Amino acid sequence: MKNLFAILFALVFSGNIFAADGVTDFLAANRFYAEGKFSEAAAAYETMLQTGAQSSALLFNYANAEFKCGHLGRAIAAYQQSAQLSPRDSEIRANLAFVRNQVQGATVRESRWQNWLGTLTLNEGALLTAVLFWLTFALLIARQLRPALVPKLISATWIFIALTIFSGTVLGLQAASHFSSATAVVIEDNVTARSGPFDDAQNAFTSRDGAELSVLDQRDGWVQVADGTGKNGWLPAKLVEILPGA
Amino acid sequence: MAKNERSNKIQKCGQPVPRRRLKDSVHRHRPGRCSLFITAVLLMFSFAQAASAASFTASLDRDTITLGEQATLSLAVEGGQAKNVPTPDVNGLQISQTGTSQNVSFINGAMSSTVTVTFSVTPRQAGEFTIPALTADVNGQQFSTQPLKLTVTKASAPTAAAVNSGSEVAFLKFTFPKEKIYVGESAVGRLELYLRDDVQNFGDFQLTGSPTDGFSSGKTTELQNQQRRVQVGNRVYTVISLAVPLTAIATGELTLGPFTASAVVVLPVRDQGSPLFFFNQGEQKQVMLASDPVTVESIPLPMENQPANFTGAVGDFTMTATAGPTNVTVGDPITVRVQIAGQGALDAVALPAQDAWRDFKTYPPTTKLETSDQFGFQGTKSFEQIVSPLNSDMRELPALSFTFFNPDDGQYHTLTQPAVPLVVKAAGTSPLPALAESKNPTPENQVPQDILPIKENLGALVMKSPPLVTQPVFLAAQAVPVLAFVAAFVWRKRADNLASNPRLRRRRAVAELVNIGLKDLKQFAAEDQPDEFFATLFRLLQEQLGEWLDCPASAITENVIDEHSVLRGAPKTTLDGLRELFQLCNQARYAPVRGASELNSVAAQFEKTVGELQEVKA
Repeated sequence: MKNLFAILFALVFSGNIFAADGVTDFLAANRFYAEGKFSEAAAAYETMLQTGAQSSALLFNYANAEFKCGHLGRAIAAYQQSAQLSPRDSEIRANLAFVRNQVQGATVRESRWQNWLGTLTLNEGALLTAVLFWLTFALLIARQLRPALVPKLISATWIFIALTIFSGTVLGLQAASHFSSATAVVIEDNVTARSGPFDDAQNAFTSRDGAELSVLDQRDGWVQVADGTGKNGWLPAKLVEILPGA
Repeated sequence: MAKNERSNKIQKCGQPVPRRRLKDSVHRHRPGRCSLFITAVLLMFSFAQAASAASFTASLDRDTITLGEQATLSLAVEGGQAKNVPTPDVNGLQISQTGTSQNVSFINGAMSSTVTVTFSVTPRQAGEFTIPALTADVNGQQFSTQPLKLTVTKASAPTAAAVNSGSEVAFLKFTFPKEKIYVGESAVGRLELYLRDDVQNFGDFQLTGSPTDGFSSGKTTELQNQQRRVQVGNRVYTVISLAVPLTAIATGELTLGPFTASAVVVLPVRDQGSPLFFFNQGEQKQVMLASDPVTVESIPLPMENQPANFTGAVGDFTMTATAGPTNVTVGDPITVRVQIAGQGALDAVALPAQDAWRDFKTYPPTTKLETSDQFGFQGTKSFEQIVSPLNSDMRELPALSFTFFNPDDGQYHTLTQPAVPLVVKAAGTSPLPALAESKNPTPENQVPQDILPIKENLGALVMKSPPLVTQPVFLAAQAVPVLAFVAAFVWRKRADNLASNPRLRRRRAVAELVNIGLKDLKQFAAEDQPDEFFATLFRLLQEQLGEWLDCPASAITENVIDEHSVLRGAPKTTLDGLRELFQLCNQARYAPVRGASELNSVAAQFEKTVGELQEVKA
């Protein structure tokens, strides 16, 4: 059993790395930000992110720096990624709401149930469901090994079964949202969506920097998006950042 | 042989199809219903079909289409079966297979069968295109089609002369209420669809292009109850109006349109010989529509006299504001509710930073937009902002101001709500509200109308990795408790089964006893202890036979071998062996002590006999 927990622990925290260099670079980027050199700060944060390592704070600071540079879309995308790592961080939510408030034009926002699902990360949801699942089966095994305990364990067993089913359902919804409802954040201003995935296609609509659009399809460097007002169009993938669902 | 056929007959889906000879023909679509009659006819005339000459032809329903329209390419295999029908690949054209049909015709008593594969051809750009010759293997022979030309033209608005002459079945007209517009200003353009009076019906209206570069456009909607009839030139037209909400977002000469659309109209049938004339169903026709572009000058907002707190709101607005509670302790939240109502680009309305609120800790406001018209240009934007006094010297919440630019008079207007009197008590020992307990309170206070400051702590760096639910190891680990439960369940079932079966329990106990007893026998033999050896041997014989015969071990003697019916089925050698073992046990009570080797041979004989007994039982 100890080995099992060790495996689970390793699974969850296998991505964690602790690098002194990362802290040094982070503090250097923070100094740029404090001195008002926002573009240098953004570049420094971005260099760290390009290594594949990320943390909620790093993405948050990168988003702040991009916002100060006037890049609403990049800021929103980074805040969203930061929120996916720390969904209950009120500072991220406050800044995201503030930046979203600056965005003009049509945009797509998460529904209330997506916000609710987003209070747990997908990994947290998976881990919670796994723990409940294991505890439920531990109770069922105890009932087999010690029949005398059955009367005492009836309530606990049903409670854990119900919790596991509920948690599993929530996890399923989270996974469905994560894998099927991607969002494209526009990272350039006055981007023209076209009626087909080619440069000569007719204009469908125009989106502003920071607009969040629902991703419908992706093909050959183009992304089909909907702006929430019933208009669909194709945008070059380089003009948007695509984020998975909450 | 290639042929370009013109067709004005529209299927239900609205796609034009080539004219076909209806007389003497049976027509079957592969995805459609099965016809027994056709099958019978096909079987009857299969020989004739095989004997007829084969051909492979390609045809387009039209040789000229407008950008946004679709043409239909048909590849027909006549008098044979094609091994493979190629899909043409032409740069600038999107060609997709749409279906297959079979046509069996009887002309002058001769039957011919044609399989037609149809493709939709969608141009991506205007120009001249050539669909190259295609080759197919028909009945083992190679056949090639002729190349086909397709001309794609850009949609353009009809000339005034064409409109006035009444030759246009339908046309589009776009009007914009302003020739000059301020950047940020909103206006509703009107797109009008004109339908000639002889149009019986229309459908499948699709706006295929609405270029509004430099404008942010809202949802195009039909204006209800705005349908009218107007005289244009020689004809009367029905006008259907669509609203296009637009907000200028760039400056300079901006062009709206040309808007392009496609629709299917139903016209009266003129050809009295047509079956459609007989049924008075009308003739369907797909039309491509385009409007003339409209040029609008977008002018920047004047920089002169622009107030410092102007945040880009353009329109005509009013403001109301409330704040409460007004009797608070230092650090307590005061909710300021501001409602900005009016007409304009409400999306762009933002609450400006209030410099006079520097002695208050402020939090980013939440916003709510409620529109009262279908374009989103009229309504109320509500802001709810939390502020909390930082010291007890505050006597009022300073006046709140909001500035907008009114494009009607070309001037900036500042709306001001008066200061709200406050009673602020010293904090004492009461804690700050939860909202104020920030991890980084100091920079947040310095920049109240801005984003919260950066984080000083990097936290744990995590490598990007796929979610746990997609990792096979995580998923496989979930099978562990299930397997453990299955093992526990099986164990419980076996334990319950044993508990409810005393014979089985005894059989297992005796088997274990015999195993241990055999070791004891060998040990007694090695230590030359005949008394203990034969006492143990006798007890083992009693236990083994008692278990088999289901009677108490103490009741077992040599006599049961002859008396008990169960043992009669055993081989004679086994029964003789048992008798001999019983007799040896009895003799040992009177006979002199034997040697270790003899005892070992007796133990071996017991082991052999027990083995034979178990074979008999099995």
